[in-house]
Amino acid sequence: MKPLMLHGHERAITQIKYNREGDLLFSSSKDNKPNVWYSLNGERLGTFNGHQGAVWCIDVDWTTTRFMSGAGDNTFRIWDCETGTEIDKAMGHNCEIFIMDVRNVDESLSQADPILKIPIIGSRVSSMLWGALDETLLTGHENGEIIQWDIKTGKKLQTAKEHENLINDMQMSKDSSMFITASKDHTAKLFDSDNLMLLKTYKTERPVNSAAVSPILEHVVLGGGQDAMDVTTTSARVGKFDSRFFHLVFEEEFGRVKGHFGPINSVAFHPDGKSYSSGGEDGYVRVHNFDPSYFEYGFDY
Amino acid sequence: MPVADDIKSSWADEVELEGGALPPSTEVRENGFKIVTDYKYNEDEKKLKIVRTYKIEKRTVSKSIALRKTWKKFGESATDKPGPNPATTIASEDVYMQYVTSKEEDNKPEDESSIDKLKSLGDKSVVRCRTCGQEHWTTKCPWKDTVLIGGKLPDDKKGPAVTTGFTNAETGKPGGSKYVPPNMRDGAAKRTDSTNMARRDDTTAIRVSNLSESTTENDLEDLVKPFGPIQKLYLAKDKTTGACKGFAYIHFKFRNDAAKAIQALNGHGYDHLILNVDWSKPPTHSNQ
Repeated sequence: MKPLMLHGHERAITQIKYNREGDLLFSSSKDNKPNVWYSLNGERLGTFNGHQGAVWCIDVDWTTTRFMSGAGDNTFRIWDCETGTEIDKAMGHNCEIFIMDVRNVDESLSQADPILKIPIIGSRVSSMLWGALDETLLTGHENGEIIQWDIKTGKKLQTAKEHENLINDMQMSKDSSMFITASKDHTAKLFDSDNLMLLKTYKTERPVNSAAVSPILEHVVLGGGQDAMDVTTTSARVGKFDSRFFHLVFEEEFGRVKGHFGPINSVAFHPDGKSYSSGGEDGYVRVHNFDPSYFEYGFDY
Repeated sequence: MPVADDIKSSWADEVELEGGALPPSTEVRENGFKIVTDYKYNEDEKKLKIVRTYKIEKRTVSKSIALRKTWKKFGESATDKPGPNPATTIASEDVYMQYVTSKEEDNKPEDESSIDKLKSLGDKSVVRCRTCGQEHWTTKCPWKDTVLIGGKLPDDKKGPAVTTGFTNAETGKPGGSKYVPPNMRDGAAKRTDSTNMARRDDTTAIRVSNLSESTTENDLEDLVKPFGPIQKLYLAKDKTTGACKGFAYIHFKFRNDAAKAIQALNGHGYDHLILNVDWSKPPTHSNQ
């Protein structure tokens, strides 16, 4: 496969995300400007300029009309996808979950009150997901805990403590019945999103920064590498900066793809499952279209 | 000089002036390809012509995607032309997925069963450890990394350094012996022998230096052949250019011949240079 290298960022990529149809790919980095790209040809559609700090997480809505980004300048901002203009921003606080109604978002957002505030006591939240039917909220914590929250009441429903270290990333499977976590404790784990039951564990020998489940095959992809601060002391060959493909069920690694010069911070499957992207500490996003051999590859069992 | 005033510039300057204005970039679309030709200057003030060829593909997509395709670029891409901007989108080299198989693990039990099969044949001598003489592969010998047990090895093969090294060898217990460096172990005795052999070889070797760059192996052979039969001939050559690096090693069959060669060739004028010939010295990094 011939990957497209998207070089729109000056610093390490923090997160990449496809929209629902997969024609657009959003990327954020530690510089202040999230980018949006056409995933097919790698053409940059635009940049969202306005943040004053590293952008840590991004998301796009179901219809690809609104784009949201949360950054180190203590704000989250909502943008119009088509024009790249900022609709409004709101200030966050020290580790609290805000749930805000943005269905009819306009300039009054900064004055609006959140419909629910969940103060987090104890370990901080490092990743977050909507549960099935948007009735619950899943949070991954710095101590490896996963908590399921009830949106209506703001109460903890369930807690699972399967990871021993910070949870870097959580991603849903296509039907939202399972989610995969990527943790600093060198493993990625697959959970049932309803009862937080641990289903599978994918073991590696380095911190896992991101993990994604293929929408069409029983595959998961893990991206990782050692901590960014240790990168300069190791060569690319030793650092193992490749994306690693595991079988979903058998927990066994079956393939690797090289390319990045630093740890991979975020991986995402295209919603059609025929390509995947990875964003790394080296500031590049790489869009890979799978070769036919990937689809023909049969797992021996 | 009135004539000189009339000539405003020489023809050479005119060319320079012409080059000052860049031809406009052109875009040609023909049978499914878009060919864009750009002109620009590089750092050395040289004019560059850049031709980019794009394949135009038509895809049928849902309405919402088609609509999004018509969106205007914004932010830092606002000034980009339609199509990918080569500054931000780079097609990189081919990469391949490396498939990892667990075949090696699968082979292990098979290996065991093949031994069992051989054993069941009744021929006990099929599998025999070379180290301890028992019935298993040498690589699976429990004592392969430790001192060899009870005098199975002929005494003549033991090097002098080995027998002085430890007394535990006769007790027959693999454990309990202190650490023995690999080159002192029994199994290494043979290896040191072979290196000794290699060194003995070196005694018939001579080093020829100050050779000219154009020297080839054939030239060298012609040069040293008259002195006696040659075992090996090595001419140091540059990896990329293939030119001689100026020195060579020649291994003669007999030391006498080598001595003769040194005597005759040292100081001999060869291809405008004076040769420097001496015995080949053993590599300095060896510790013996």
